[in-house]
Amino acid sequence: MKETSITRRTILAGATLIPLSAIRRAEAQPATAIAPAMNAEQRKILDAFIDRIIPKDELGPGAVECGVGDYIDRCLADYLAAEKPLFLDGLASLDVFALRTQGIAFASLTADKQDAVLTAIDSNQAPNLRGFFNRARRLILEGMFGDPVYGGNKNFAGWDLIRYPGAKLAVGPEDQSMKTPPKPFRRELFGAAGENHGH
Amino acid sequence: MATNLKPVDVVVVGLGAAAGVAVLPLTRAGIKVTALEAGSWMQPSDFKADEIHNNVRRRVTTGTKVWDEIPTFRTSPDERARQGAAPTMMNAVGGTSIHYYANSWRFHPWDFKVRSETVRRYGASAIPKGSTVEDWPLTYDDLEPFYDTIEYEIGVSGKAGNLQGKIDPKGNVFEGARRREYPMPPLRDTDFTDMMQAAARKAGFNPHRSPAAINSQPRNGRSACAYHGYCDTGGCHVKAKNSTAVTTIPAAQKTGNLTIVERAHVTRILTDDNGKTTGALYIRDGQEFFQPAKVVLLASYTYENVRMMLLSKSKAFPNGLANNHGQVGKHYIGHWANREVTGLFPVDLNIWYGANAQGVVVNNWAEDNFDHTGVGFIGGASLTVNHEVHPIAASAMPTFGRAPQWGSKWKKFVSENAGRWLGVYAQCNSLPYENTWLDLDPEVKDPLGDPVCRITSGPKVNEPRASAYAAKKAEEWFRAAGAIDVITVPNTQGPNLSTHATGGTRMGQKAESSVVDPYGFAHESPNLGILGGSTLVTHGARNPTLTIQALAWRTAEHLVKNWKSIGG
Repeated sequence: MKETSITRRTILAGATLIPLSAIRRAEAQPATAIAPAMNAEQRKILDAFIDRIIPKDELGPGAVECGVGDYIDRCLADYLAAEKPLFLDGLASLDVFALRTQGIAFASLTADKQDAVLTAIDSNQAPNLRGFFNRARRLILEGMFGDPVYGGNKNFAGWDLIRYPGAKLAVGPEDQSMKTPPKPFRRELFGAAGENHGH
Repeated sequence: MATNLKPVDVVVVGLGAAAGVAVLPLTRAGIKVTALEAGSWMQPSDFKADEIHNNVRRRVTTGTKVWDEIPTFRTSPDERARQGAAPTMMNAVGGTSIHYYANSWRFHPWDFKVRSETVRRYGASAIPKGSTVEDWPLTYDDLEPFYDTIEYEIGVSGKAGNLQGKIDPKGNVFEGARRREYPMPPLRDTDFTDMMQAAARKAGFNPHRSPAAINSQPRNGRSACAYHGYCDTGGCHVKAKNSTAVTTIPAAQKTGNLTIVERAHVTRILTDDNGKTTGALYIRDGQEFFQPAKVVLLASYTYENVRMMLLSKSKAFPNGLANNHGQVGKHYIGHWANREVTGLFPVDLNIWYGANAQGVVVNNWAEDNFDHTGVGFIGGASLTVNHEVHPIAASAMPTFGRAPQWGSKWKKFVSENAGRWLGVYAQCNSLPYENTWLDLDPEVKDPLGDPVCRITSGPKVNEPRASAYAAKKAEEWFRAAGAIDVITVPNTQGPNLSTHATGGTRMGQKAESSVVDPYGFAHESPNLGILGGSTLVTHGARNPTLTIQALAWRTAEHLVKNWKSIGG
């Protein structure tokens, strides 16, 4: 991993190198109407992909149900607009790889076959897709576990999954105890500090 | 054509962690200071309890200067350097002291005498090959009064381990003697900090709580920490983090002697034919200004200090300001600091909330705190564990070979363990080397057409060995704390861009091997003072800001006492 100085800040054991062009500029624009970055075909591939990375199962909703596709689309339409062509190329390459190895477009494969495609990529059988896979997985984590204000983590299902109690402006000793789990506090807090300084 | 402004006593370039404290003794003494800051004021309402805003998008900054001037990096002179990472600097009144962890350490007495102490104890051959390390031109004892001043002026929470020679095992027993206790007790103890302290003691170590420039109790009309968990790379919504923007800068404003110019993008420092600086040229809202001054204090981030000097060529300094001995950019140190060791625990740690500086530290394996005979390196690393884990970072956890990285099995693993893992932050004593320096990139330029700073950082042997040694100790610590699995991923490359970038205009006695004198004024340009990490000679095994601030205060005090000779 090259970004050692960044890992100091983020303690991300699995962080991927984010292209500089991709993280430049643009303010967060929660809940505003922006034209979608992906067409229906591209979105279909993305939804099929994210559904296998974090599937809906007995533990709860998956990435699709949590709005991760919306999160990623909104990123590509706005904050990560510079990265959009590269990302969409990756999606198209995923489909090409599925066609070549399984004979059918990715979104039309069964879940097992989709998993076989992803396993092949994850074991470096498609070196051209490695970067896309890592980047997409990273964006999926952001959408699943980020603040719902950005379009993902619907109903705080991502935070419930990992027992993150939720952002709040002031935290008492009882909420830092290991003996009793902190009570979930489910509220979008983007901008809340401006209304309430918390003390 | 630049508009010439009315002359002032002192012009400061960059009003962050360093100049933010220096302006206070200056303005208290009646010196008129104009501070040129590329960013603007940030308010509590600008700060979000939001991982995407702070840590993913790194939005806690104002202006775009940092994004336009990201240094390039390469590991050898044969490579083309590339821009890649996000900026480590920030633009705002208060600078990086707004979004830093606020770990506020004194360097160890050994850090100031690495060369002589190493030669004395282990012989000259123990100095790492290729290192240009020198003793600092001042000792810990020289700096101690200034550490004390900063701890009280900005407010630091902690527990003394060495009070005038009396050792207290509740504090850092390895620290240099301090004249008095910290102004506030450490941040809140928790089950987690208790657990990690007990485990360290069980392993035979001497743990203590992190020193933090965060209020552990209400102080000077500001709140105590609210422990909400968005301190790292974020600003404080209750003004409990003692950034210079809420402490020394407002205090300096009250004197009536500080003028702050926001959104002032400094492009050059000018000098006369005798090599004295005459002021700073800057662009503000599309217009160019020249601010004349009797003294210039250059006080930006290390990469920017060096870049500004190399860009500021003149008749007196054809190779860049105060660079006739070719020392500007040399002896740069990217701090070797990693999270190599990760532990998996069988219980929920509940470290989501709190502050990064709400930590536990082990210093047994740092500096010269143990006998290095036969270990093959000098120095070592401090080991820190801390509160404040955010959900995206937590879910990006390693799976310890127990699950794949995606799918239902991963989902089950992360649902159980996202709150049960921990990395240890190992910060190494780091030295300057011949193969590591800063200069101007020959290709990459900012929007004004000026080259960005280029980092060349060659391979090192001492730091990775020290880090690997400390990693073994971290593994012992985690096992003693009940970890069911521990993995170590060695980092042998060191930092790319460093959030602790130091050196590049180091201090020393001679112009042949340093840029500034023991008080921070340039050997070659006596009315140019340099503040910031760039003046450091070695990097301690800990966060550098308090040392940077103590030096900045000392430079300012020296200027006040010698105003006639320096500013006259």
